[in-house]
Amino acid sequence: MPQTWLLFPLLLAVAAPRGAQGSGLRHGGCPSGCRCEEDGARVRVDCSDLGLTALPANLSVRLAGNGLSHIHTGAFSGLEGLRVLMLQNNQLQQIPCEALQNLRNLQSFRLDANRIHSIPPGCFHSLVSLRHLWLDDNALTEVPIQALGELSSLQAVTLALNKICHIPDHAFATLSSLVVLHLHHNNIHSLGEKAFDGLWSLETLDLSYNNLVEFPVPIKALTNLKELGFHSNSIRSIPEKAFVGNPLLQMIFFYDNPIQIVGKSAFQHLPELRMLSLNGAAEVLEFPDLTGTKSLESLTITEARISSLPGSLCDQLPKLQALDLSYNLIQHLPSFSRCRTIQKIDLHHNAIQEVRAGTFQGLMELRALDLSWNRVQSVEPHAFADLPVLSKLDLSSNLLSSLPAAGLRGLTHLKLAGNDGLRELISAEDFPKLRVMEMPYAFQCCAFVGCERSQDPWYAEESEGHDLEDLLLELEEDFTSKQSVQCSPAPGPFRPCYHL
Amino acid sequence: EVPPSCTRGCELCSEYNGCLKCMPKLFILLERNDIRQIGVCLASCPVGYFGVRNPDMNKCNKCRIENCEDCFSRNFCTKCKEGLYSHKGRCYPSCPEGFSATNGTTECTS
Amino acid sequence: KALIKVTPLRQEPTGKPITLEGVFAGMKGHAEGRLMQSHPLSLCNTSEDERQENIFISIVKLESPERQVPQCLPLLEKARLAMKRGAQAVIFDVTDDASAAVELRESLLNSGDYLLVVLVQAKDAEVLMGLVNRNEEATVRIETMSETPKWAHYD
Repeated sequence: MPQTWLLFPLLLAVAAPRGAQGSGLRHGGCPSGCRCEEDGARVRVDCSDLGLTALPANLSVRLAGNGLSHIHTGAFSGLEGLRVLMLQNNQLQQIPCEALQNLRNLQSFRLDANRIHSIPPGCFHSLVSLRHLWLDDNALTEVPIQALGELSSLQAVTLALNKICHIPDHAFATLSSLVVLHLHHNNIHSLGEKAFDGLWSLETLDLSYNNLVEFPVPIKALTNLKELGFHSNSIRSIPEKAFVGNPLLQMIFFYDNPIQIVGKSAFQHLPELRMLSLNGAAEVLEFPDLTGTKSLESLTITEARISSLPGSLCDQLPKLQALDLSYNLIQHLPSFSRCRTIQKIDLHHNAIQEVRAGTFQGLMELRALDLSWNRVQSVEPHAFADLPVLSKLDLSSNLLSSLPAAGLRGLTHLKLAGNDGLRELISAEDFPKLRVMEMPYAFQCCAFVGCERSQDPWYAEESEGHDLEDLLLELEEDFTSKQSVQCSPAPGPFRPCYHL
Repeated sequence: EVPPSCTRGCELCSEYNGCLKCMPKLFILLERNDIRQIGVCLASCPVGYFGVRNPDMNKCNKCRIENCEDCFSRNFCTKCKEGLYSHKGRCYPSCPEGFSATNGTTECTS
Repeated sequence: KALIKVTPLRQEPTGKPITLEGVFAGMKGHAEGRLMQSHPLSLCNTSEDERQENIFISIVKLESPERQVPQCLPLLEKARLAMKRGAQAVIFDVTDDASAAVELRESLLNSGDYLLVVLVQAKDAEVLMGLVNRNEEATVRIETMSETPKWAHYD
């Protein structure tokens, strides 16, 4: 991009009352090529995307998408009322600090998508009203501490997509009004112990997509934090009482970290937390103590090594709606009956041996229950009797020899495949709403799909290497008069129903 | 030469979907026009949308904060609707307790 | 197979609907709604497309894999997201992406969810996408096509 210099004095329509003295556009008319439109008491002049390599005679507030690499000292002189300045998507390597000296009313300043590698102290000295600052997608290698420190009114700043690798102590100490701080997509590998001191108003902090190896302990200073993201880092453990300093946390995103160890008290006393998801923490042996985290609606802890669940689980989580504890080592289940709002329970791939009457009793909102891939040998007669909206039950790949039908009339999906000992016939009257069935044996489908079915495309033999036309033909299926239940394995020529 | 159905700044264009991928630094906006929804490329997102930059794609997301006209991010409003007061990136009919609007502005400060 | 009956709104009331064919990728079923295009990138976690007020059926034109459009989500999740946003069914135009049909069929087979997903291609897809390109509002009705069994009776 050629070196371009700003040569012209800049004129602008700002928030001056219409017709008032000095209404901004001194020479009247719209800069050539720009688009001008009335916006209440202002005139909005937009010169974006014009391939400008130098500022037009009378400037617009929006200079996004041009090739500007330098802005003249006097570029904004006479524009004390300027509120919004957009310089994003240009080629600036330095911020035009001198040009900013009288912008005392500037509130929003966009510098994103330039090539800024550093910001000298004093650069933002006069921007006393600045509230929103975009510095993302630049080449900063460190936090411009002194420059930012002068922005006492700053409420939202993004330093994302830069090359920052360390946050020193007191990096944002004077930004007591800052509410949002985005630092994602940098190379941050370490944080000073007091890195976030002084950020009393901070509610959102995003540290995702960095190289953090340790849990960001300095967050303990952020007493008003509501949303924290540190996913996609290299963090291996979450310490005890990790969020003791952040009682207002509502959302924590920490997926895509190789987390192996989680302190039992790590997620205690987070009364506003709605969702908690932890996958693959192989060294978690115990269910976490969630005392005081009573608003949790969704809890996922998979691929850990939890072998038992506390009886007080539902007392700690009265608002739970979705529970996923699949891929653990759970053998015995407590009663979930005090989890009154629960809708979905995933316990597949555990070591559960039996389902007692009181385990799922009285769960009025439970729709889906997945107990597949366990060692369930027995299900007490009334285990599912009191589940009025249960529609999906998966008990496949267990050790069942019978299934009590009480309470299962509302099922639309029933999966029992892989229970080799289950040879009894399933009566169609007991399951009037079924649509998808997976049974151990084909003859158990006869009651649901009739005997003269053609080949069921869902289980048609796969033939390799055919193109889309063949594939779509292969999906063809005839339609029988019986209700449209898709049951597998489907009876057919070699698995007849005749003797039934 | 960019096929007619794509705006300037498009790197990967589709006859039916409009732009699929914009040039670096530009934002893709998925513009709904009756039954059509096509991708267009912009240097900055229109009012009512905020830009989210990511290494692989910059995207305009709709600003969904209540009573807000323009956003900095998913949960921070930069411009509240007429007559409402802004406090910590949210919009209120009046300033929360302990805060008040300074000399004729609609910004609540303690 | 799926029967797709398309009635352009500008057509006079007596006009017969256009009848097209597709294939159910998983569950069979019936659905009706206004035809509404969804850009492939609008069905990603990061995007929050408008939840449509009216009753609609989404149509998604899948690009050829060689164009390396960012996938962002598996096709099953895209279909699930579309239906979460109110779509009665999702039609995928797989003309340029034969592998999509295989991916959708297998994932729907295992999901057990009730997602009405129809695959269209070639001539049938061209008619639907033609309506979209001309921004011609139309009502789409999806039905199950009934046919006599094709395989010879086993004796």
